[in-house]
Amino acid sequence: MDALRFLGGGIEAVILVYFLLINTFYFLFSILSLAGILRYRRLVTFVRFGEIFRMPIVKPISLIVPAFNEGQGIIDSIRSLLSVRYPVFEVIVVNDGSTDQTLARLVEAFELRPWKAVYRKSLPSQPIRGIYRSSIQPKLIVVDKVNGRKADAMNAGLNVSRYPLFCAVDGDSILEKDALLKVVRPFLEDPERTIGAGGIIRLSNGCDVREGQVVGVGIPRNWIARFQILEYLRAFLGGRLGMAMMRSTLIISGAFGIFRKDIAMACGGYRAASITEDMDLCIRMQKHMHDMKKPYRVQFIPDPICWTEAPESLRVLARQRSRWHRGLIQTLVRYRSMLFNPRYGVAGLFAMPFYALFEMTGPFIECLGYALFLSHLLLGQVNYPFAVTFFFVAVFYGTFVSLLSILLEELSERRYPRLRDIFILTAAGVAENLFYRQYLSVVRAWSMIDFMKGKNEWGAMEKRGFARAGQTP
Amino acid sequence: MLSIVVLYSFVYLLLMSFSLFLFIFGRRLLIESRERRDRRIYDLMERDLLEVLTARDPRGEAIAFARKHGSQSRVLKELLVAYREALAGRTLEPLKVIFERTIRGRCLRELHSRWLAARLQNVRLFIDFSRPEEAVHLVKLLHDKPIVRLAALNALAGIASRETLAHIFDLFEKDPAPNLYAYSNIFFSLGPRIEPFIRTTLDKPLPPAKSGLLVEMAGRLLLRGLYLDVIAFARHPDKELRIRAARALGRLLVPESVRTLTDLAADASWEVQAQALRSLGRLQDWRTIPIMIKGIFSPQWHVRFNAGYGLAAFGLVGILQLQEISRQKEDRFAADMASMVLDTVILTGGAS
Repeated sequence: MDALRFLGGGIEAVILVYFLLINTFYFLFSILSLAGILRYRRLVTFVRFGEIFRMPIVKPISLIVPAFNEGQGIIDSIRSLLSVRYPVFEVIVVNDGSTDQTLARLVEAFELRPWKAVYRKSLPSQPIRGIYRSSIQPKLIVVDKVNGRKADAMNAGLNVSRYPLFCAVDGDSILEKDALLKVVRPFLEDPERTIGAGGIIRLSNGCDVREGQVVGVGIPRNWIARFQILEYLRAFLGGRLGMAMMRSTLIISGAFGIFRKDIAMACGGYRAASITEDMDLCIRMQKHMHDMKKPYRVQFIPDPICWTEAPESLRVLARQRSRWHRGLIQTLVRYRSMLFNPRYGVAGLFAMPFYALFEMTGPFIECLGYALFLSHLLLGQVNYPFAVTFFFVAVFYGTFVSLLSILLEELSERRYPRLRDIFILTAAGVAENLFYRQYLSVVRAWSMIDFMKGKNEWGAMEKRGFARAGQTP
Repeated sequence: MLSIVVLYSFVYLLLMSFSLFLFIFGRRLLIESRERRDRRIYDLMERDLLEVLTARDPRGEAIAFARKHGSQSRVLKELLVAYREALAGRTLEPLKVIFERTIRGRCLRELHSRWLAARLQNVRLFIDFSRPEEAVHLVKLLHDKPIVRLAALNALAGIASRETLAHIFDLFEKDPAPNLYAYSNIFFSLGPRIEPFIRTTLDKPLPPAKSGLLVEMAGRLLLRGLYLDVIAFARHPDKELRIRAARALGRLLVPESVRTLTDLAADASWEVQAQALRSLGRLQDWRTIPIMIKGIFSPQWHVRFNAGYGLAAFGLVGILQLQEISRQKEDRFAADMASMVLDTVILTGGAS
């Protein structure tokens, strides 16, 4: 009995230390992000991004859009990509064996014609069934291929692409008009060292989307989408910017990230078996640069914005988060040689261990805490005043970090125009601690079991199209 | 003990969260009211500025404008930067007068600030509104951090006199880690007036990357006077330099360069061959058609690709050749490439 009590006490101590450490790290990231945003705002004062547009010599970009069953929003998305402000770019849509109307809609909307393209198959990919060019949009190329997941589609797009930089954009995403001009800046300022740069992903749920552009920003009525808005703010403005300030960027979102093609090709492109191909490529490119002993930078820019649609049902959200978590585990396991390895600098000594200790095992420790609490409850061993106070501490710690991310949003872009939006986001920051956070912890912990069982599937996402997302209560 | 710590933490976090919420809320209210006020001032200034720009004596009106609105420097900066975007040439003169009478003094002081961001912001204002005699302040910044250095270079490029051009090229020669990309844009924006400087600099022993950039510039700016200097690099042992020379010759379009380009089309490096074929296509010398046809049968994809487009550049004659190659059965790769080029010419031609 004493041994059990001792074990229980030990686990409680581990949970407490974990709780303190993870929240302290997030708090520190938020503070670093705060400094990063203020510095960025000062550095870009009086910069005319239009000047980049008028530069005689700019690096052209291939926008590669893998699309699997994206029929609902693909036309809006491609229209938004074709209308971005950038001097030289091409849009390559890779229809990854869609079973819906994706290709048919593209053919109809952009008057696609079969094109006898001859390309170098430098990266392996599933067979290409046909390549199309638009007779009304010279910048648009559509590749129709056998299904092989997103990474495979990206590789096919890379093979067909022509330009030295490529930008991975999800088929359900909308880029702001100046997003490319802003995200390409690190490649112009430090062309030798910059190998990748990413911008912020925001949720289009609740926004007014017209002609492939977000014309009005709002908060959706769906609470699951509201929680995710806050999560994205925390992740991108708090987490990734803070990590970037420490030169520890391990992920550039697959929904919107720009990379040097020569480095990506030298690494063998995307790994087809990867579940989170964006993180896998980003880490592999950094590992490659370290192995080659070449200096590099992966930048995170806080204002180029890409809008994407978030799931509004718990079932679809669970599938998405399970996939992300399995992908995280897969990537960390694959690159375990970098963990605590001083050869890989900050990435090996801080970023990888952080992801492994807090992001990967975090949900397990959280779930362990819930299980322990339930067992104490059943055994009648709960110190109620302590438990209730601790619960509120956890809630307000979470709320405080969420409020910091709202502050970061206010300092960076201030996209949510109404005061009411601040109230709603704050309320979401409190409410998410009551069920949503616990639910996602369980989903993520369960995904670890799925990973061990060898589950490697993506799980279908239900797309509603930009016009309708966020309009149901 | 733990309970007390937790209780204190709770109270502390509650207060912190509440204060942070109030701060965010209060800040938003404050900013919105400031923005409304700034907007009003901006509208007023804009009306006055439009009157200045359309007045018979813009200079006099600009001085009056500066006297009236000089105290509102934040909004004034915003207005000047916005109008700088929309105006060009002589119409900028009233803006420069307003800048000199209002913000210039502070700007000059802040060029020497210890804060990088402050220096950068002010150099960027100088890009728009400085005069040649102010180059001396900018030259001092050519030894600052790279980002400030580039901004200073940009500002100097905007007031290009012979002295400032000499400073720019001097920095280019001495820069230990030049951002070639940025230099390309600066040189390009300076235009043909840099020809003598390029000639002098090309005569000096520079690293291949720097010489390559100058050769590239000669082509991009169509500096035919540098034709002989470029030709000299066609025999350089560095492959990158030979590629750039081939590309520049393809832009300069001097008929005498056919012979050099023909030699480069037989270079040991396929990258040089590919570029030489593309340039030969632009020159459209019919005698080079057999070389292009040979190129489209090359085992190298890039050589085939450039030879294909090189042939297409010949117009109808090239297209007929491509048709013939696309029909032959001996080399599938050449036939595919010819088909693709034909297809692209038809499709993209229609689209554009």
